[in-house]
Amino acid sequence: MKKIRMDMIFSHSGDVVSREIDGALIIVPLTSGVGDMEDDLFSMNESGTEIWNMLDGKKTLQEIVEALAQQYQAKPGEIEQDVVGIVAELLKRRMLVEATAA
Amino acid sequence: MSKRLPREYLHPAMRKIGLPLSGKALIELMQAVHAKGLPFRFSAGGYSMTPFIRDGDVITVSPLALHAPRRGDVVAFIHPKTNRLCLHRVLSVHGGSFFIQGDNMPERPDGVIPREAILGRVTGLERAGRRVRLGLGPERLLLAILSRCGGMALTRRYAGWLYAYFSRSHGSCEKH
Repeated sequence: MKKIRMDMIFSHSGDVVSREIDGALIIVPLTSGVGDMEDDLFSMNESGTEIWNMLDGKKTLQEIVEALAQQYQAKPGEIEQDVVGIVAELLKRRMLVEATAA
Repeated sequence: MSKRLPREYLHPAMRKIGLPLSGKALIELMQAVHAKGLPFRFSAGGYSMTPFIRDGDVITVSPLALHAPRRGDVVAFIHPKTNRLCLHRVLSVHGGSFFIQGDNMPERPDGVIPREAILGRVTGLERAGRRVRLGLGPERLLLAILSRCGGMALTRRYAGWLYAYFSRSHGSCEKH
């Protein structure tokens, strides 16, 4: 897998649908062109949801880290490490695609 | 103005979620999937469409696209009175509205439902891993007529025989 850099921009893949329902994010992978509730569905905690919402095809990972650092009390480097980690997991599950900067 | 204090940081985490989803979640996700022009598959609960759709059957609902529901179609819709997701049969078409009723609910029709409340058409049905067609094929028109004139009690009585007949002779039930 390609190395994740902080100047990279990602957006949600066209092969997923996500909705925040009653405060909880639900991500549905569109396996074989079907929105299948019998298949695996995913949810994220609060910080995961914020990261997901900021992966909008506009912000770099660095900008996402800076935005989160203003909202949360965290150790230096912790947020960056987490953002890279969750992006790697989402890429592995084909839920994200790399976007080019406008 | 006081500055908002930073919140406690928890590591982001993604997890698989279990079923069942709430009716509201099903409706929102179905609308989101249909907005991409794709079908939506989920387990149905309840007995209002017995014997053609049974509790636990896996249903595929396709978006309506440009084609309005027709008489006999089983449609997914948001019931205007309860705001709940229902899967019932169209018994007759009235311009842009549809008279809808569950096959097993002759005494409690849903009434006239506007097109805007209809989310999609049931295009697939699986039971215990097998695809079932009875109730969704050309016979759906007959079922709508029988339902409209109160003949569904007879159909329900012979549903087991019909199911076996179609399974054996016409391959309406196939391994999925």
